[in-house]
Amino acid sequence: MNKTFISFLVFVGTLVGFHMGVFPIFTPKEPTWVINRYVYFLCIIATLIIVNIVLRLKPPISLNALVVWSLGFYFYKFILYPPIPWTLFITYMMLWSIGTFLFISQDEETFREFRKPIVKMIIGEYKLARIVVFAALPILVGFGTYKALIPKFQEPVELRTVHPAPPATTRVHGKTYTLETQKNPYRIDEQDKYQKSFPFLDADKQEYMKNVTEGGTVFFQNCHYCHGDQLNGLGMFSHVFNPTPANFVDPGTIAMLRESFLFWRVSKGGPGLPNESTPWSSAMPPWEEHLTTEQIWKVILFEYWYTGWHPRTFDDESSIVGVKE
Amino acid sequence: MLGNHRKQFWGLPWMFVFAISVLLIPSLTDTAYGKEAFAESVFAEEAFAKEVSAQEAEAAAEGEPEVEWSNDVFYKDWEGNPLKGIVSGYPAPELEDSDYNTYSFAPSRIIIWIANQQHLYFGSFVLAVPIFCMVIEFIGIRTRDSDPVLASKYDKLAHDLMKISLTAYSWTAILGGILLFTFITLFPGFFKYMAGIFRPVMHVYALMFLAESGVLYVYYYGWDRMSQDPFMKWVHCSLSVLLNLIGTVLMYLANSWATFMQAPGGIDEQGRFLGNIWHVIHSTLWNPVGVHRILGNIVFGGGIVGAYAAYHYLSAKTEEEKAHYDWVCYVAMFIAIFGLIPLPFAGYWLMKEVYAFRQQMGITLMGGIMAWLFIIQAVMIGLLFFGANSYLHNSMSRVAGAHRYMKYCKFMVLLLIVAFTMWMTPHTIVMTPAELKAMGGAQHPIVGHFGVMSAKNTAVNLMITCTILCFLLYQKANKKITVPWQTLGNCCIAAIFFWAAVNIIFLGVYGYFLPANQRVGLSVPQVSSTLTTLFAGTAINISMFKDSESYGEIKWGTQSKVGTYAIFMLAISFTWLMGLMGYIRSAVRLFWHVTEVVRDNSADAYTLTIGEAGKILTFNTLFVWVQFIIVFWVGSLTGKKAVEKKEAVPEGVPVPAQQQQ
Repeated sequence: MNKTFISFLVFVGTLVGFHMGVFPIFTPKEPTWVINRYVYFLCIIATLIIVNIVLRLKPPISLNALVVWSLGFYFYKFILYPPIPWTLFITYMMLWSIGTFLFISQDEETFREFRKPIVKMIIGEYKLARIVVFAALPILVGFGTYKALIPKFQEPVELRTVHPAPPATTRVHGKTYTLETQKNPYRIDEQDKYQKSFPFLDADKQEYMKNVTEGGTVFFQNCHYCHGDQLNGLGMFSHVFNPTPANFVDPGTIAMLRESFLFWRVSKGGPGLPNESTPWSSAMPPWEEHLTTEQIWKVILFEYWYTGWHPRTFDDESSIVGVKE
Repeated sequence: MLGNHRKQFWGLPWMFVFAISVLLIPSLTDTAYGKEAFAESVFAEEAFAKEVSAQEAEAAAEGEPEVEWSNDVFYKDWEGNPLKGIVSGYPAPELEDSDYNTYSFAPSRIIIWIANQQHLYFGSFVLAVPIFCMVIEFIGIRTRDSDPVLASKYDKLAHDLMKISLTAYSWTAILGGILLFTFITLFPGFFKYMAGIFRPVMHVYALMFLAESGVLYVYYYGWDRMSQDPFMKWVHCSLSVLLNLIGTVLMYLANSWATFMQAPGGIDEQGRFLGNIWHVIHSTLWNPVGVHRILGNIVFGGGIVGAYAAYHYLSAKTEEEKAHYDWVCYVAMFIAIFGLIPLPFAGYWLMKEVYAFRQQMGITLMGGIMAWLFIIQAVMIGLLFFGANSYLHNSMSRVAGAHRYMKYCKFMVLLLIVAFTMWMTPHTIVMTPAELKAMGGAQHPIVGHFGVMSAKNTAVNLMITCTILCFLLYQKANKKITVPWQTLGNCCIAAIFFWAAVNIIFLGVYGYFLPANQRVGLSVPQVSSTLTTLFAGTAINISMFKDSESYGEIKWGTQSKVGTYAIFMLAISFTWLMGLMGYIRSAVRLFWHVTEVVRDNSADAYTLTIGEAGKILTFNTLFVWVQFIIVFWVGSLTGKKAVEKKEAVPEGVPVPAQQQQ
């Protein structure tokens, strides 16, 4: 039998066999370091390589390309968990396809070898393949068109700016704050260096911890319903919102922002967002209507303390001079 | 030394004197202007501020202030207080409808964008080509003794490029004129304000243009004459240095207008000029924009020359022609990739300065309304690296002896794709509510970590390091190393790359555990690791080539089609990317002509949607390429004529008597 065909059968057989038989074993409810879906994927690759070497199959570059591309598809579709959104899947597959193309076109010879079966199929040397492909192509296009046009009942996706540029100043409780220079009045050390000692026992930092505790009280009275008791954005109400409440534990939220930015966001809530951030879809109330300025600053202090992040600061080279008060 | 040619070059000393005089004009005018307006040196800011305070106190005591002093919006003294300056201009105008003119067929903002972009594309090209010519001519001179054939090839290439540049130069000037008229006619109010502040710079700019033209003409038209004598050849090469110096000054002067508009300095809150022209020119973004543009010009120029050569390569009819244009493609790509490698670092510096100027502006760019354009930029940068690596892989395959390294190509591709996947993963993922619920939150627990700068920096440094490694392998491909320390040398190169990768990855992971301002600092050692691989790796690699044997010559003219098409992709990507980044940098001012000083009160003061911006960018790209094709065609006319002439009357071929007229 043709070695290329055997290699193809090995690939299909391995993938189907593993997916039907082994995949459930490697996806328990509580995965371990060994029994998890990523180890399972490595096992598939190892099996394919070993079988091909042992049987001395030496698949041609076109089959290699197919295997590489399909494994990428399989990884992003079934292995990577939780499942990634469609837009990200398309992005990743586009990159993987480019990578596969670079792999086959690295030199004239590999590219010619890759094209060989395609050319043979088109000119009619592989008659059956030509019939199958040319019959399947319009069906696939038709199916794609049908999928694209069929009415869906999902709300459309929208490009939303999560961290919009803040205004230069914001007015809270009758006072104007210049966000560029405004600092948290309750913060003692910008870099939280006191956390190296245990702050509760540090006599100098007792005042700081008092403010953190007060901020925590405010948080658990008002914010944790949405932002979660672990500040991970998974509060009891979080699942009914789109967008979901911010996850403060994530390195891409408060860890990237200045405290003054948070002060503006907390004070003005969803309605205070600029248009590019779709204020209509945010459920966060303007907290200036419910909390005092001091409480807002303290709850921000708590959020940083709890998550262990440090507020963003800039070097002294920043040019602006805060003059408005 | 000049011998009989002495008389032919009598004008050269005068040209030098003239050129140097022109170079001195900015400093002369600057000093003269400074003396008129100030009592203190422009750099002694601390002393200046103290003196100002003393004078103010004195004036206040007398009760009759003679001059008005005001605070600079940007500059500070050593104590952090705003620097004071004598008010020497009028306040920024509150522009009204009457300050704008419009055409019915397109918004003024779009027209000025297109006019500006076209001028910048051509400006970039004509500034890049002399850099090429300088390098290529220098290499030609240096290889003259060892390989005269190759030296003459280099010289011819530099000459041919200059010929095209000459046509493009006039074209640039015309586009500059169109841009100027567009400003004056459509934005007269704004232009009046800018001209009020920058009038000495604008005049110096015009004079520099004159100097540039003069040196350019001498450089081009004196090529053949000055090639005859070795000393005069060096003088000729020095002229290219002078040409580049003037070109760089020109670009920096023009940059000052754009950087002032984005991050002004040297004026007070009302927009009044405070008398120090250097402060206005040297605003905070001036240096990073300048460096970024020089590198960008080199890359862009390389892309265009590469595409020009690639077209000729594909359409070549003879083997000789194919070999020549294949070689030109290689030289152009070499220069472009050399500029491409440090380009992201210069961009990083620019963004850092933007953040330092206004956090708000930085967030608008990276996280706000412009963030999706940055995602597109990420795609384009990835394409550039893919294109560059694809070209290198394909080029390597035609080099005898490259089979030793070709087997590593697939692993390098894998590394590139993995790094690019990190680079491309957005922080905010576009998704439906159902997908959001399936994912369990806005951030993915695994790929969500790729959305922050720590991951991005790591990814881009790995991509660059991989490209450098590919380049080193390309250099080694046909060399049989014979130096006794070859094992040591190879180990050193391997160790440099291995530890650079370890350092880059370690710092990337470590960045997640640090405060943001310290995390930003990690990019410096990451970049240093990458640059170490470039400089140390290349130095060791080249040192090992001493007395090396060759596996065989590079088979010029056998480049694969994929590799050649990769050059077209690179050129188009450069053009589109340049337009995109220019748009982002300019559009971040939003509704300001000059940030926080002159408000854009026209009907066009809105930010385009991503789709609309993309359409204009694509139009700009297509439009400029149509012009480039015309310029190349015009440039080729003289070449054709010369060839036809030569074919009509071949020298030394006897003509039968019956055919003689």
